[in-house]
Amino acid sequence: MRPLDWVVMFCWLVSIVSYGLWRGRRSGTVNEFLLAGKTMPWYAMGLSIMATQASAITFISTTGQSYVDGMRFVQFYFGLPVAMVLISATAVPIFHRANVYTAYEYLEKRFDAKTRALVSIIFLIQRGLAAGLAIYAPAVVLSVVLGWSDQVTTVLMGTLVVIYTATGGIKAVTWADVQQMMVIFAALILALVVAVNLMPPGVSFRDAVTLAGAMGKLRAVNTHFDWNDRYNLWSGLIGGAFLALSYFGCDQSQVQRYLTGKSIAQSRLSLLFNAMAKIPMQAFILFIGAMVFVFFLFERPPVIFHPVELGRAQSRPDFQSVEHRYQAAFDSRKQAATALLADRNDPAKLDRLRQTQQDFDGARGEAIRFVERTRGTAAFNDTNYIFLNFVTHYMPAGVVGLIVAVIFSAAMSAVSGEINSLATVTVIDVYKRHFQKSGSDRHYLWASRLATVFWGIYAMVFAGYGKGFGALIEAVNMIGSLFYGGMLGVFVLAFFFKNVTANGAFFGVFAGEAAIFAANRFTGISFLWYNVIGALVVIATGVIISAFAPAKNPKSAA
Amino acid sequence: MSEPGSLPPKIMEDGPPPFLGSWKRVYAVVLLYLAVVIFGLYLFSSFYSL
Repeated sequence: MRPLDWVVMFCWLVSIVSYGLWRGRRSGTVNEFLLAGKTMPWYAMGLSIMATQASAITFISTTGQSYVDGMRFVQFYFGLPVAMVLISATAVPIFHRANVYTAYEYLEKRFDAKTRALVSIIFLIQRGLAAGLAIYAPAVVLSVVLGWSDQVTTVLMGTLVVIYTATGGIKAVTWADVQQMMVIFAALILALVVAVNLMPPGVSFRDAVTLAGAMGKLRAVNTHFDWNDRYNLWSGLIGGAFLALSYFGCDQSQVQRYLTGKSIAQSRLSLLFNAMAKIPMQAFILFIGAMVFVFFLFERPPVIFHPVELGRAQSRPDFQSVEHRYQAAFDSRKQAATALLADRNDPAKLDRLRQTQQDFDGARGEAIRFVERTRGTAAFNDTNYIFLNFVTHYMPAGVVGLIVAVIFSAAMSAVSGEINSLATVTVIDVYKRHFQKSGSDRHYLWASRLATVFWGIYAMVFAGYGKGFGALIEAVNMIGSLFYGGMLGVFVLAFFFKNVTANGAFFGVFAGEAAIFAANRFTGISFLWYNVIGALVVIATGVIISAFAPAKNPKSAA
Repeated sequence: MSEPGSLPPKIMEDGPPPFLGSWKRVYAVVLLYLAVVIFGLYLFSSFYSL
């Protein structure tokens, strides 16, 4: 980082906290603190929903994933528009008319207190875990760029987030997200322009796209169905839709966003805006990763992208042979890429390039196994460091600071949304429901602020466990998939199955969670299908139990 | 200031979208857009797969 990068990064971080505090300065009641007084326009909610989901992980991990695996990860988002339409048509009007602070409050109106408590606890567990991972991501950035320890960077990030979230509530969170998303869009475009401009002389944008396509990095759609394949058209459309239904329909961190809308129509528009913008945005980020891959066809990338592990490996004499093989593989691949561009219709040259890529991957795999062997690590993964390495080594002064600042702010927006929703559920569904039912508005306002501080500290502590996960974005989605299926199932029962009883829903959730954990433990089914399995088991169990033990006075949906 | 520990205020009733006349048409456009995007990405993948 050069002086200009530091200035850009510092100014951005100060401005984001200041803007959040200024926007949230009038959050003097519980309603304003948790729901922004229901005054939010659709574009603010829409950008905030997008910002909460597009955390720092999006930039660190998705670009790296594209470098390694191509653009096929985009299929994960194919079900999202379907889910948004279904939620707009069903959940949005139901939650608004139920006049609730949290989605789980509605479950008590429809079923009973124990179902509400169970789902609230599931949310607190899974969202608490995700908040820890989301705060760990910028710790990765800082530890690489600044050479600080993860603990220091985690506390710094967490403290900044807690300051504006605990002070201004959801208004501060939402408007800070709007500001952040605008700069994120600008930085993404800038990153692609710079990446393409950094290509060596003689390699045009069209050449770069051709090479990326030849190496399979632009293969975005796979129509072949396979239960065990994480990303194909069908897992994306069906599994992705179930995951998005769970996330946007049952997860308080998202539901709370569109509950702040000044009308049902504004809330719907915010979701439909996401439905249309999300896939192009993710495809764009993945495309940047593919361009970084092409850039590294001509510029030698480090054999290990994790700088600390690379330095450690290079200090050992027996690593030299690994590096020699890697250098030779890189030279051969570079020659083959240049030869293909000279005559792109020659199949022999294409085969040659693919062969050299296999040799290159083999050499890098040898280096990774070296790290695993010498560190005693079971599965070493440096995917999250690929884009960071490119940014910090090749981007011009100022742009590095901007992109690092964007990664910071993306993480801050995700974490602020998460601790804000965790605090809301803690106060509304746990504290107010079970411990202090008749406090003053001021009492609950301060309880919400204290709960925000508590969850901020919790996230910082849990962030210490982030190192144990691989590519961070998959880890977050994996954790969500373990719990979301059960939550989705109980909301489907609440919305569409009028005869299902409270006991049917309550025990259905247990059955759904058991099915998900069994699928995770005993089968190789991709995690995107866990939501489908969990939701279907909850629904089936709830219907069967309710049929055999119907309620005397069943409640109906709002 | 709202009442101590009060529920959030009621909001206005469901209204039509600002364009296309009905929500069903808006939903149909979103799903059509999804189909176009997936097909576009499929064509993009195929075109650049040497």
